[in-house]
Amino acid sequence: MENLLTLKNIQLTYHSPKSETKAIENLSFDINKEDFISIVGPSGCGKTTLLSLIAGLIKPTSGEIVFHSNNSQVGYMFQRDNLFEWLNIWKNVSLGLTFHKRKTEENIAYAKELIEKYGLKDFVSHFPSELSGGMRQRVALIRTLSLRPEILLLDEPFSALDYQTRLSVQNDVFSIIKHEKKTAILVTHDIGEAIVMSSKVFILSKRPAMVKKIINLDFDQSLTPFQRRKDEKYQPYFDEIWEELQ
Amino acid sequence: MKNNYSKEHKKYLLKTRARVFTIHFSRILLFVLLLLLWELCARFNIIDPFITSSPSRIVKQLGMMINDGSLWHHTWVTLYETILAFSISTLLGTLIAILLYSIPFVRKVLEPYLVILNSLPKIALGPLIIVWIGTGTKAIVVMGILICIVITTISMLNGYLSVEKEKILLLKTMGANKLQIFFRLIFPATFSDMISVLKINVGMSWVGVIMGEYLTSRAGLGYLIVYGGQVFKLDLVMSAIVVLCLLAAVMYFLVSLLEMYVNRKR
Repeated sequence: MENLLTLKNIQLTYHSPKSETKAIENLSFDINKEDFISIVGPSGCGKTTLLSLIAGLIKPTSGEIVFHSNNSQVGYMFQRDNLFEWLNIWKNVSLGLTFHKRKTEENIAYAKELIEKYGLKDFVSHFPSELSGGMRQRVALIRTLSLRPEILLLDEPFSALDYQTRLSVQNDVFSIIKHEKKTAILVTHDIGEAIVMSSKVFILSKRPAMVKKIINLDFDQSLTPFQRRKDEKYQPYFDEIWEELQ
Repeated sequence: MKNNYSKEHKKYLLKTRARVFTIHFSRILLFVLLLLLWELCARFNIIDPFITSSPSRIVKQLGMMINDGSLWHHTWVTLYETILAFSISTLLGTLIAILLYSIPFVRKVLEPYLVILNSLPKIALGPLIIVWIGTGTKAIVVMGILICIVITTISMLNGYLSVEKEKILLLKTMGANKLQIFFRLIFPATFSDMISVLKINVGMSWVGVIMGEYLTSRAGLGYLIVYGGQVFKLDLVMSAIVVLCLLAAVMYFLVSLLEMYVNRKR
């Protein structure tokens, strides 16, 4: 497997007038191409901070984040879809292309192809308020993919959806990411979600965050998230992660 | 029209339409009744028309002023001043808000000054304006600007600051720079704040200009009101107020039209 991203001895300290908080200490791991990593851990352990670090939004106090690829473009998906209500779906999807002169014919064609492939073609001139929550999250994913990111950072992108929609959007996002052969890091509170979506689960410790355990998930490649829930391996994995988090 | 509505729905529609009609009708009725009451009280000397004027006397006064052309002159002077004050304060206030938004240090430093300026009754600066700028149109427009500009700055700044942080982060991960973030996100996202600022400023700029005209003027509706009060021509005062009401309503209506137009375009 080709190595895509390495985090080496990452350390991050927050400063506030009253205190100094070590958010992350001595965190190291490698991510391979087409890995789907889920990161779980106690709340407030710095999972989101970790994504911000990889996205380059904040700098570590010490340590190194190395991309082993020329393309260090990351795609970030948030809990909310953050669609711009005043732009139609096409303009939302192509939003990222307007920066850095990326609005080339090739990129536009790629975005259009994604829209067509993932069933949004009839909605390009609709506005976000006319779409359901699941649809909106799909638009957000296509918007992220249209920039051809090497790695997708998913920050609890399903937690704002109702349960039924969440299950179907999980399926949806999983198959799109597999299909486009993308690498993804998913931060989640939901143990089940981590198991059904990913190839590896990183369990983080309480603050300061370190990788406590890595669990390789060994499901049949052809299973969808929905089918994984019914697989006999699901429950043992669930129990194992649950134990670790206690 | 679709005719496949059920009986209940037709009944419901009829009822809502009737209600809307009654509301409109009652509004007009109230207006007519008040005018009638005023006129009758004045006619039968229950109130002294020399002090309270009356609708017929206002109409007569307005007719006279239309004939000698003075109505247009005074209205135009005030309207001109108001439009100037309105546009300058809206533009300048928004510019200052953008500046404060993009430079947090300056924003923090100026915060208490803004708060004090906002609560200061701007009319208190009247004598200063006259000494510094002189009398006449310039001073009146400055008065109007002073009244509007602080509230414009504060409202727009608050609008900019309340744009969701996550959306800004999103654009950052897409590689947008500060300028792009402003024009792609902050500006369109605060459009409704802009409209409400315009609506507030329509009212406030009239206040500022009339106050300015009270301080120093040789023409304008505010001048007519002060002059009429001094020489006890209450017909003149009332006529000027009527014209003011009409103008303010028209200006507010224009802003609403703009809002509707832009909302439809989006």
